[in-house]
Amino acid sequence: MNFRRMMAIAVVAAGGFWAVAAQAEETVAWWDLLGGGDGVRMKQMISDFNAAHAGKIKIDATTLEWGTPFYAKVQTSAAVGEAPDVMTYHASRIPLAVSQDILQEITADDMSKMGLSASDFAQTTMGAVTVDGKQYAVPLDTHPIVLYYNRVLLKKAGVLGDDGRPLGMKNKEEFTATLQKLKDAGVEFPLGSVTADGNFMYRTIYSLVCQQGGELLTGNEFLAGDNGKKLANALTVLQGWTKAGLQSTYTDYPATVALFTSGKAAMMINGVWEVPTMTDLAKQGKLFDWGAVEIPVIFDKPCTYADSHSFAIPKNKGKEISPDKRAAVLEVISWMDKHSLFWATAGHIPAYKPVTESAEYKAMQPNATYSTLTANMIFDPKSPKAGVAGPIFDIMSNYFVPTLNGEMDPGEAVKSIKEELNSM
Amino acid sequence: MLRNSRTERLVALVLVAPFLAIYLLAFVYPTVQMFRISFTDAPLIGAGQWVGLDNYLRLDNDPMFRRAVWNTAYFVLMTVVPGTFIALLIALGVSRLKGRFQSIVLALFFLPYILPVSVVYLIWDWTLNFQFGIAMHVLDWLGIPRVPVFKSRVWFLPAVAGVTIWWTAGFSILLFLAGLRSIPAEIYEAAALDNSTRWTTFRRITWPLLWPITSLVFTIQLILQLKIFDQVYLFSIGGRPNDNMVLVYYVFQKAFQQNQGGRAAAVAVTLFVLVVVVSVLQFQLLRFAERQRR
Repeated sequence: MNFRRMMAIAVVAAGGFWAVAAQAEETVAWWDLLGGGDGVRMKQMISDFNAAHAGKIKIDATTLEWGTPFYAKVQTSAAVGEAPDVMTYHASRIPLAVSQDILQEITADDMSKMGLSASDFAQTTMGAVTVDGKQYAVPLDTHPIVLYYNRVLLKKAGVLGDDGRPLGMKNKEEFTATLQKLKDAGVEFPLGSVTADGNFMYRTIYSLVCQQGGELLTGNEFLAGDNGKKLANALTVLQGWTKAGLQSTYTDYPATVALFTSGKAAMMINGVWEVPTMTDLAKQGKLFDWGAVEIPVIFDKPCTYADSHSFAIPKNKGKEISPDKRAAVLEVISWMDKHSLFWATAGHIPAYKPVTESAEYKAMQPNATYSTLTANMIFDPKSPKAGVAGPIFDIMSNYFVPTLNGEMDPGEAVKSIKEELNSM
Repeated sequence: MLRNSRTERLVALVLVAPFLAIYLLAFVYPTVQMFRISFTDAPLIGAGQWVGLDNYLRLDNDPMFRRAVWNTAYFVLMTVVPGTFIALLIALGVSRLKGRFQSIVLALFFLPYILPVSVVYLIWDWTLNFQFGIAMHVLDWLGIPRVPVFKSRVWFLPAVAGVTIWWTAGFSILLFLAGLRSIPAEIYEAAALDNSTRWTTFRRITWPLLWPITSLVFTIQLILQLKIFDQVYLFSIGGRPNDNMVLVYYVFQKAFQQNQGGRAAAVAVTLFVLVVVVSVLQFQLLRFAERQRR
């Protein structure tokens, strides 16, 4: 054969191989909003997935900024058909997303294709991703707030139980006494809370309202009945602690973590996602003996606010997802959920029950200690106005910050909150 | 040499066409759409029903809108005039320096201007942080109780105004320096020969000759600060966004957070009209003042 012919055959063959290879591998476009310590772990999981599915499915991941930018971007991109194939989504934002018609339904057929079933998840978690009886996302984890504590300081003040947990977790008086004992033992801020960020304090306050059996949204009305009183109770307790010097004032998020890790705050109420921060510091020998437990029962029953990272499939206008791609997406979701044990090292509680019931998870500390709170979790109210970075957060934040720091009367704050929420 | 006016016009059109195309597409068309949407109840994405002047009439009873207007006006008051005067003072000071020292000092004053707003936010958020900020230690040393600056209703806008002046003064200083340099030295020498004091020199020579620059800086600053958003948004995250609402932030909140595109457009149109009215008024005022001077 002459040279030209050989070259022609070579090019065709190479092109053929390339085309076949390209067709064989599905690229799944993935958007998440996981920056920070947990984002590092998610990137590890993605590369593990890609390694396990080399040549078949490849995740092309992009991490976007948490909050309003992410949700605005998802909405606008879905409207022009540029949305990703799969994305992480907070369960609290799903009602709004459904009203904007940007999520595809996850049918029972999809669930069986993924090898998952509703009974594999906690009832409240499944409820959080369901709107009007239809499921719109698959939960990956739940991330509540927990109480971090410094065992060394607590022992010194005599408020550490024999089981290594803080004393006084059962009611308001006992917990306030614990805080007072810490103060008397010389701790500058017995409890560090993010009192400068009303968005964040929403989580603690909502938990306290739930502990009284209250709820934020009843039907279409906010703070109906005596729920306003319950909110005022929660605010009064927290304001009291700040005024008595038992809680840090005007502390923003990084400052709260800094107060705890530097030992100036003996305890801290923060999200479970700070567990890797503490674990990494402890590994470097830069942290004291610490633990994390469910937040104390201040009122009548245990209850903790949580949200959930879940996987959702956007509805792309004009560019319907192909069946092959959709099958690849379902495989991604299924794999991520089944391998979410590693995700637990980010502090989050995996939503997939077989993982949390496994021996390896039960051996993880402090995760195993606080994961029992899943029985007492409460999610955001199901409203298009709810969810992280939503208008409800903003309104409440506006009044929480001055109230928690002693500038505003709780009763007044509740009145204004109720007015503004109901007139939204 | 004869000039073919037709060919010239054609060439002019061809050269201007690209800019005109992009300008029409990216600016005029969206503005027209915004006016149109403000008469509907459209959400952020998608069409809506015609509601006429309903969105505008709503603004009349909207306490948040009123607060936004007041806060914006308050902010403009705190930044435009003081900012211009501070820049003028600094420019006068820098113009007295010579050579390399002048260049270094000028660069230092201009440095904040090149920073993006997020960096400015981080710098000042950390400096004024209630628990760990270095400014708080200064307050401690002076014996004044610490102030949570960006969470306090009283201090928020003044603090943001101060940060904004710090950030944007560099540009005004450059303009003023250029203006000062264009004043011929002979005039100053003549004034010195007539035993003119510093203050009289400033009042009779520098200020009038600098007037075109001063009025330019005023106008630029006014239009810029009426549209304030970035700093207010960043500094009020997690704090009291609704207490410190300004007009552009209100548009953002209504459109992107509450998904109410029509109402947001109405606020945006109102702001547009406000900016046009205020700048025309200011322009006329300054021209009037200039004519008085002559």
